[in-house]
Amino acid sequence: MLSKPLLKATIKQNYIVLLIIIGVLMIYMPTIVSMYDPKTQESLNEMLKMMPKEVISAMGFSSPVSDLLSFIATYFYGFLILLLPMIYTIIVANRTIASHVDKGSMAYLLSTPNTRAKIACTQAFYLLTSITLLITFVTLSGISMCQILFPGDLNIKGFILLNLGALLLYYALTGIGFFASCFFNDTKNSLALGAGLPVAFLLFQMVSDIGDATKFFKYLSLYTLFDPATIITGEGYAVSYLVLVVIGVVMYTAGILSFHKKDLTL
Amino acid sequence: MSVIEINGLTKDYGNHKGIFNLSFQVQEGEVFGYLGPNGAGKTTTIRHLMGFLTADKGKASILGKDCRSESASVMKELGYLPAEMAFFDGMSGMDFLKFMGEMRDMSNTAYRDALIKKFELDTRGRIRKMSKGMKQKLGIVCAFMHDPKVLLLDEPTSGLDPLMQKLFAELILEERSKGKTILMSSHSFEEIERTCDRVGIIRQGELVATENIHDLKEKRRKIYLITFDSPASAVEFAKKDGYDKVTVSGATAKVCILGNVSSFVHELGKYNVLDLDTESCNLEDVFMQYYGVSNGNHSNKN
Repeated sequence: MLSKPLLKATIKQNYIVLLIIIGVLMIYMPTIVSMYDPKTQESLNEMLKMMPKEVISAMGFSSPVSDLLSFIATYFYGFLILLLPMIYTIIVANRTIASHVDKGSMAYLLSTPNTRAKIACTQAFYLLTSITLLITFVTLSGISMCQILFPGDLNIKGFILLNLGALLLYYALTGIGFFASCFFNDTKNSLALGAGLPVAFLLFQMVSDIGDATKFFKYLSLYTLFDPATIITGEGYAVSYLVLVVIGVVMYTAGILSFHKKDLTL
Repeated sequence: MSVIEINGLTKDYGNHKGIFNLSFQVQEGEVFGYLGPNGAGKTTTIRHLMGFLTADKGKASILGKDCRSESASVMKELGYLPAEMAFFDGMSGMDFLKFMGEMRDMSNTAYRDALIKKFELDTRGRIRKMSKGMKQKLGIVCAFMHDPKVLLLDEPTSGLDPLMQKLFAELILEERSKGKTILMSSHSFEEIERTCDRVGIIRQGELVATENIHDLKEKRRKIYLITFDSPASAVEFAKKDGYDKVTVSGATAKVCILGNVSSFVHELGKYNVLDLDTESCNLEDVFMQYYGVSNGNHSNKN
């Protein structure tokens, strides 16, 4: 159900964006890990207390930091992991289908003996594989970085669980982007939904973190289903993970079906 | 055997846009010209044949297969040239042709290379930087390179210079002699006249006529521009009966003639003719001549 030449062309079209995002993440990851110091952890917490609580909360740095895993969970998985790969998925999700339809190059793809479903599946496969690759890369580099700098300090099982959560979150997010890409015939609308929604989620998440008065905003954000502080306790994440998987499956399926059925003005 | 079959095809976009109860067939080995002003529904018809659109009513099929539900299977035997050139960003001409070949599982590249040579296509450059004519040539090579049985060409010669238009006409005739079935749309009568066996004329989404090209030519009036040595001779010429319509301006007379021109030539022999020229008919004139359609409702679209 996949078209090899199309997959090859899509990789060629997008690998540079992927490399850039991985590159930026690879600057942050070692920096954050190296900032961890069991002895100065106390003083860092003291310093954070001096800053306005709302500012720190909005950045997701609110939970008390005790060990290496919760340190990374707070400083890397609280905000950076929500932002940087999101940029990648927004760009690429739009490119998979909507931009081909918008520009008209889809006419050429569909003038070959490949069904619409096959083309959509190939593009969905690329999106899922590339984001899996990205998160896997982050996971492996995070583990090796910790092992080099602080051998034995990282709770590896908890770290992998945390990354699995991030991955499932991105399956759901790319699902939304992919659906928008399939559903709309132009880049403008595809981005309005496929980029607008994730960005809005991120803003709601930040607003809800500020304080109790704005707490209800978390019900408007998909990111609420990925809560690093809860995940590293090893409990209470199962339902969230399941919901993320369901959202992912539903969105990708709906995207492929809508592309299969719709009218294309190519 | 009819290769392309359209039966009662309707797609209503509202506002009298779209196509309405369209029916026609294209036989095997036939070159069918699909003629109509801009916005008449030519591209909408072709989109249905390509399986891009689902019809409100009716059916379109190619080689007995439904164009919408079995489109991938239809594409095995089909070459398509879209009206708008949109390729893949960043690919070179050759990258694109190779990519399309792989998408089609095409193993033999001999015909592709022959076409590249015939049209003097420079395949090294990036598509983004190509001129409109070069892109059009690339599209033509892409449509023909896998030697398909059926060809759908949407305004194939737009952007080509006269020399390339001639080459293209030769290619069409060559493909016809191989027994290919071709449907090509156009808004230029001259283009269709050179290559097609039969013509369908569409106006405001409805097929107003399908005619054999020879019948069309016979019914067609031609416009001649004659420049005489003096305005007086022009006026004198215009007084002569037997022509449908003569207009004089200065020493030049403009005359419409249907069919045989021998009496016209004979008559001209009596004068000192400085110049004789024909004026090409645009589609509007063709409509006027064959169907007596008044200018009113579609002139603004052309």
